[in-house]
Amino acid sequence: MKLKLLVSAFAAMSLFSAAAIGQSVAITNARIVTVSGPTIEKGTVVIRDGLIQAVGADVRPPADAQVIDGNGLSVYPGFIDSLSTAGLPTRTPQPGGGGPGGGGGQQAAQQAAAQAQQSNSNYRAGIRPEVSVVDDLRAGDSQFDSIRNAGFTAAVTVGRTGIFNGRSAVINLAGDSVSGMLLKEPYAQHISFATIPGGYPGSLLGTFSALRQMFYDAQQLQEWRKGYAANPKGMRRPPEDKSLEALIPILNREMPVVFNANTEKEIVRALDLAKAFNLKAIIAGGQESWKLTERLKSQNIPVLLSLNFPKRTASASPDADPENLSTLRFRAEVPKTAARLAQAGVKFAFQSGGLTAANDFFTNAAKAVEGGLTKDVAVRAMTLSAAEILDLNDRLGSIEAGKIANLAVVKNDVFASDRFVPYVFVDGKLFEQKEQPRQGGGRGPAAQRGGGNTSSAPATPNVANVAGTYNLSIDAPGQTLTGTLVLRQQGDTISGTMTTQLGVVQIAGGKATAGGFSFSATAEVGGTTMDITFRATVSNNNLNGTIDTPQGPVPVTGTKVP
Amino acid sequence: MNMKRVIQYLTMAGLVFAGSLFAFAQKGGDVLIKGATVMTAARGTLENADVLVTNGKIAKVGKGISAPAGVRVIDAAGKYVSPGIIDAHSHSMLDAINEGSIAVSSMTNVGDVLDPRDITIYRALAGGVTTALLLHGSANPIGGQSTTVKFKWGHTVEEFPVAGAPPGIKFALGENVKRSNFTPQPGQTPRYPRTRMGTMEVIRDAFLRARDYKRSWDDFKARKTNVPPRRDLELEPLVEILEGKRLVHAHGYRSDEHYNLLLLADEFGFRIATLQHALEAYKIAPEIAKRGTGASIFADSWSYKLEAYDSIPYNGYILWKNGVVVSINSDSDERMRRLNLDAAKMQKYGGVPEEEALKMITLNPAKQLGIDKRTGSIEQGKDGDLVVWSGHPFSPYSRVEITMIEGDVYFDSAKDVTMRAELAKEREALEKLEMNRAPAAGGTPPRLPSERRSADRDEADRGNNR
Repeated sequence: MKLKLLVSAFAAMSLFSAAAIGQSVAITNARIVTVSGPTIEKGTVVIRDGLIQAVGADVRPPADAQVIDGNGLSVYPGFIDSLSTAGLPTRTPQPGGGGPGGGGGQQAAQQAAAQAQQSNSNYRAGIRPEVSVVDDLRAGDSQFDSIRNAGFTAAVTVGRTGIFNGRSAVINLAGDSVSGMLLKEPYAQHISFATIPGGYPGSLLGTFSALRQMFYDAQQLQEWRKGYAANPKGMRRPPEDKSLEALIPILNREMPVVFNANTEKEIVRALDLAKAFNLKAIIAGGQESWKLTERLKSQNIPVLLSLNFPKRTASASPDADPENLSTLRFRAEVPKTAARLAQAGVKFAFQSGGLTAANDFFTNAAKAVEGGLTKDVAVRAMTLSAAEILDLNDRLGSIEAGKIANLAVVKNDVFASDRFVPYVFVDGKLFEQKEQPRQGGGRGPAAQRGGGNTSSAPATPNVANVAGTYNLSIDAPGQTLTGTLVLRQQGDTISGTMTTQLGVVQIAGGKATAGGFSFSATAEVGGTTMDITFRATVSNNNLNGTIDTPQGPVPVTGTKVP
Repeated sequence: MNMKRVIQYLTMAGLVFAGSLFAFAQKGGDVLIKGATVMTAARGTLENADVLVTNGKIAKVGKGISAPAGVRVIDAAGKYVSPGIIDAHSHSMLDAINEGSIAVSSMTNVGDVLDPRDITIYRALAGGVTTALLLHGSANPIGGQSTTVKFKWGHTVEEFPVAGAPPGIKFALGENVKRSNFTPQPGQTPRYPRTRMGTMEVIRDAFLRARDYKRSWDDFKARKTNVPPRRDLELEPLVEILEGKRLVHAHGYRSDEHYNLLLLADEFGFRIATLQHALEAYKIAPEIAKRGTGASIFADSWSYKLEAYDSIPYNGYILWKNGVVVSINSDSDERMRRLNLDAAKMQKYGGVPEEEALKMITLNPAKQLGIDKRTGSIEQGKDGDLVVWSGHPFSPYSRVEITMIEGDVYFDSAKDVTMRAELAKEREALEKLEMNRAPAAGGTPPRLPSERRSADRDEADRGNNR
């Protein structure tokens, strides 16, 4: 009987994988969290040709199978990060590549900046919806090591600059070619309520009026084209405008629009705009979406909920004003958002929200569970619910025969700090990591750095000491800004300030790396704010790097003040 | 937000909100204020009088009114009641004030960037302000579209705009517009216009384009053309101005410039609704009055910057004497809370009669904003936008005790005092939570004490151009 089942499954499989039957892998004796159905307390998952061939308590491994003893392990559908920048170049100059002079890295950054400006679009960089992440993605497995070792197998990815972040893709977190990694491209258009200093729209006011004008222009273009196609004689021809053309699918609801909106007011603005233009909206971030559950539910708008929870970064000082009560409340409420969305029946999936350590994703998901979310729904929010929102649930997000073999094999409770992911499958390809002896410092054993496929990186990263004061030269388009960067360092966490002609920027949540550091910050320029990411290497007291701004990357160099 | 949602919201949050009293606020409350000195700002001051509000509207003003069953009675013996104060120039609630990248930013609308949780709303209510004109900044000859709101603190953003209020727009003249105090960033090209004559050219050019735009639509509607014109969000509001459907609020200090603008409006056949700031408007008072234009001024701030050099304390008085509808505005989240004292100054300098001075922060701004049919004075049929004062509102010793909008209480000083203890307790609990604790080491610098942060107001000197 068992054999019969297996044979019929085999036969079904062979229909669409007839070309080549590779070796199969079977995980036996494992607890299988199928998500789509009941959890199988002890069973087998068979993987062949990139797909899940069979799953069940009574399934026996095929004769040719490489068998992994899953005793004491849980098999989950591979986790999905429903909004990330996975696969995008970091534009950090490679340590050693350019040497202390670092000319190579700077040149690359300048080229990238020039490239961002080079376009025949009628619109400024930052409001070009035709931009597509697929043009920037890189192939290769090792770039995903740190997130894949935490159990992630797929992600929505898109850049985060500008008002139109551009078109995203859903990718698998391994692959020798970009085309092979893609699960869905394009997935959605992404919009941030950002500003693009240096021109219109230079403030949040202009952001909304510019978006509206472009939507109207795209609507008009579509109508004009229809009229012209029907009868071109006697009618002026419609312009070929690739920026406006890129908006037509979202105006026709053929492509969703993901709005980055965390606070109540931002979400309201996104919903209002979506309503005015009948857009198929998705809210990303959504930290205060719990205040709008009724509206989200009734308009059937899902939330890609960020697990990057806010926390106080300012050090204590008796001189300082106390923090606003609204800020204190905001931070306290965010971890409860997921539970409230679940209770209200708002569809949501988890996303990393710019978290630098993949492990924090699970640590914070556990906080969401503390906030009242059931573990099952939490798991669903990083598997099947994500696949449903991405409209890929027919092939992703659960452990069912015929689905893509994206799996995470987890030791211990996935929400516990001792979780470890010894095996990950992406498109059926096995990635294995060995457990390291735990070390002090509270970071889990799966805190990896880049390395080989089966990472054997030490648990405590070896980080450079970058603390100090640097004189900066920032090579912005058409001008050179000078400034001072003050970095303080605690382990691999850096903080401090960057002061330029444009003002003072506070650094929060910066990370020191082996050869340098990176941080994100919000800079205030001419009364508006923009998000920047600063990445640099430090070698022989010389600093070399790039500042990613909404207008594109800007090269930065500096010297350490002795 | 309906009642159920408000309650659900508060329960879910487990929070006690500042001003959570409005949790009981509905579409128009019922209340009877008894035995007060009622300053109607329209029909004189009534001693020992009552005001009855039903369904948010003033139902009766007079003596010996008895409360219908179930209606809350406020004993206001010895107290004063005035209309809710209206600030005809504010930037409260705005997450962005200037779109300074371009000289004509009429496509922008401050209604897009309202923050209904801005604490300045609650503070304004504590100063008796119920209504405000929220304006774009003064960085552009033609600025963004404005919105008129009632400070319905605690409600969702869509409930703030005053229904039926005519749309408005900000214009600006003078040094902010020509970027006199604006330091271009390195490599940045200074924006045109750079002079006062350039400013007039930009405005005239915009209206000529708006005329052409209107014509192109008229032609299309008359089937003279087959492709619909491009919908132009910059020119649409200017067409509305030409059609008399949108009110122009024109920032300026020098009367020669303001007069130039009045002449330009004559040329294009529209009315300027208000001259904003207009600190030397006394020089052209008859010309302003003749056109039915209002003046919205500061009570003082004489010579506070070069453009204001010729301003005098008697500006408001002279304008009023010439028949101009005068309002006193704040242009400041901080000064907004004591506009009553600014009105008092009109009595001091020149002797504007008490009721006329009160009108300058109530009925007159309502007229200027085109909402005087529903608010601005205590008259039967108008909205129950009322302030109960501990004493005469022109006394610096008087305090606001209750502020209500459409019969619903949005500020109650007694409740505010009791709420403080609750908020302190809440703060204490919140500060103990992990996410609210200061990092043990390596944190960012803490927030500057408020007295070391820049204040607001017409911040041309700080380049903010409010």
